[in-house]
Amino acid sequence: MSLVNLAHVCSHLQNASLARLGLTSIPYTKLHLSLALLLHKQGFLSQVKLGGPSPPASCFPAATPDNHSITAAPHRDRSPRSPEAALYDVVYKGQTEEQLRREGFGEEAIQFALEHPNRASRRLWLGLKYWDGMPVLRKAQMVSKPTKRIWLDSRDLGRLVRGRAAGQVKPITRIGEILAVTTDKGIMDARECVERQIGGMPLCRIW
Amino acid sequence: MASKSGYQCLSCLLKDTFTSRAASASRTTSSKRLFHVSTPRSARRRPAYPSVKQSRIDAAAAQEADIQARAAQLQPYTQRERELLAMRYTPEQMEIIEAGEAAISSRDMAEQGRLRGDAFRPTYIDDFSTLRPLVDKPARLALDDAEDQAGDKKKKDVKKLKLPGPLSATEGSGGAEPHLQRLSLTTGLPLRTLRSLRIKNLVSHRVVNQTRMGKIQSLYFLTIAGNQDGMVGVGEGKGAEDEDGRRQAMMNAIRNLKPVPRYEGRTIFGEVEGKVGGSVVKLMARPPGFGNRCQHLIFELARAAGISDLAATTPRSRNKMNVVKAAWQALTSQRLPEDVARARGRKMVDVRRVYYGGLVG
Repeated sequence: MSLVNLAHVCSHLQNASLARLGLTSIPYTKLHLSLALLLHKQGFLSQVKLGGPSPPASCFPAATPDNHSITAAPHRDRSPRSPEAALYDVVYKGQTEEQLRREGFGEEAIQFALEHPNRASRRLWLGLKYWDGMPVLRKAQMVSKPTKRIWLDSRDLGRLVRGRAAGQVKPITRIGEILAVTTDKGIMDARECVERQIGGMPLCRIW
Repeated sequence: MASKSGYQCLSCLLKDTFTSRAASASRTTSSKRLFHVSTPRSARRRPAYPSVKQSRIDAAAAQEADIQARAAQLQPYTQRERELLAMRYTPEQMEIIEAGEAAISSRDMAEQGRLRGDAFRPTYIDDFSTLRPLVDKPARLALDDAEDQAGDKKKKDVKKLKLPGPLSATEGSGGAEPHLQRLSLTTGLPLRTLRSLRIKNLVSHRVVNQTRMGKIQSLYFLTIAGNQDGMVGVGEGKGAEDEDGRRQAMMNAIRNLKPVPRYEGRTIFGEVEGKVGGSVVKLMARPPGFGNRCQHLIFELARAAGISDLAATTPRSRNKMNVVKAAWQALTSQRLPEDVARARGRKMVDVRRVYYGGLVG
């Protein structure tokens, strides 16, 4: 679990929000994926998609039926036999080239899927949200640092949630602030940790 | 009897000489002060006819020839074309088409009915005669309509004012100060409200402008105004006179009144931060009965806004002006829980309203 890379993700999300980007990507790791899914569940992100160096076609809205002539973007045509679908099958279903061929994927799709079994070239594509001209995700800051990891039990997390500091960790006081905690049950919000009475390592606070 | 040519005091003598000189000057030339010996020309010299460049004349001629050529191409419909059109359109539509043909001359058509060829033309062909709700901006009221509506409103107001009864503070404002009346007109607040505002001067000091001629001193004031019910403003003023600067600051503060969201009408929402220059002000919500435990500048601001439970820290610079401005920025830039919930698409419930039988808040 590299907190250095997580810190890079936090800064990247802040920067992307400030630049008002609609879609951005972060390296694909299990930690990043579960954090992204937490943010998606909390409503900070509009979509979390797995893809390669270029965004998957499903990140974009489907082409409207009446403007075929206007769009010049071939990747907008969503289809069940798209390269991204093949990649999904390879990563999550463990399908081989033979199986993909049998299912009727095209040559291009198979090539795309097999180019990215290498995890280093996979990326998570995140959709950022904006409301009233302001980003929904404004700040993301690390709590545990690479040089100083912090572990809190459920009592301490309860203190944070109720607005009291626990050791050196500042309480959750801002409106809509969440604290992502990694536990042995996965990454979750601090409030959920308190509800389920489990402790863990606070990763970052997001508001 | 002392004659006119007799004794005169010095000032009277000087006055006479000045008036006579001025009168003679006004007789000879305009009332401008003269720096030159020669008399000035009355106005800027203009040529008797406009000078037009040959290239422009050529361009106009070319354009005219182009229009003529295109107009010549636009011939009226032939009999055969009319028959073909009649197969497509109803007789009523044909009448309209023919009326249109007759009404618009071919020259007008060539001159104005052109397709744009410039780089900034829209990428589609549209006459913009219809508003499509998804693509176009919503239609705004035409100026005349807006004026009519405003006029209607005014008439209604006049009717209301004519009701019998004692005059309110706004109407019977004969004795009010002129600057307050002007403020009432610009802000739309009645004089009674203006008088009931809590106004306090927080910062005042002397400022100096160093010029070539020397130092010019004036007095700077920073004033806050608030209705103690969720509106507060900060204003700055500067003047050579104490009274003038103070009044300017007060009027600016009232003009800058902004709403401050308050949780349960007593404290702020969560923790907010404001930054102006090197001053950072961090405001924190506190439980009921806590009081405004913060430094005097922020205390006054909170009091004017009608906040009674507040804590604050100023971790960095404590420059008075910037602290007041940063605290005001923090108070007015709070995020509301409802907005956050809507932005994230999640449901939010205030549990304080759920506990204690709903007696809180």
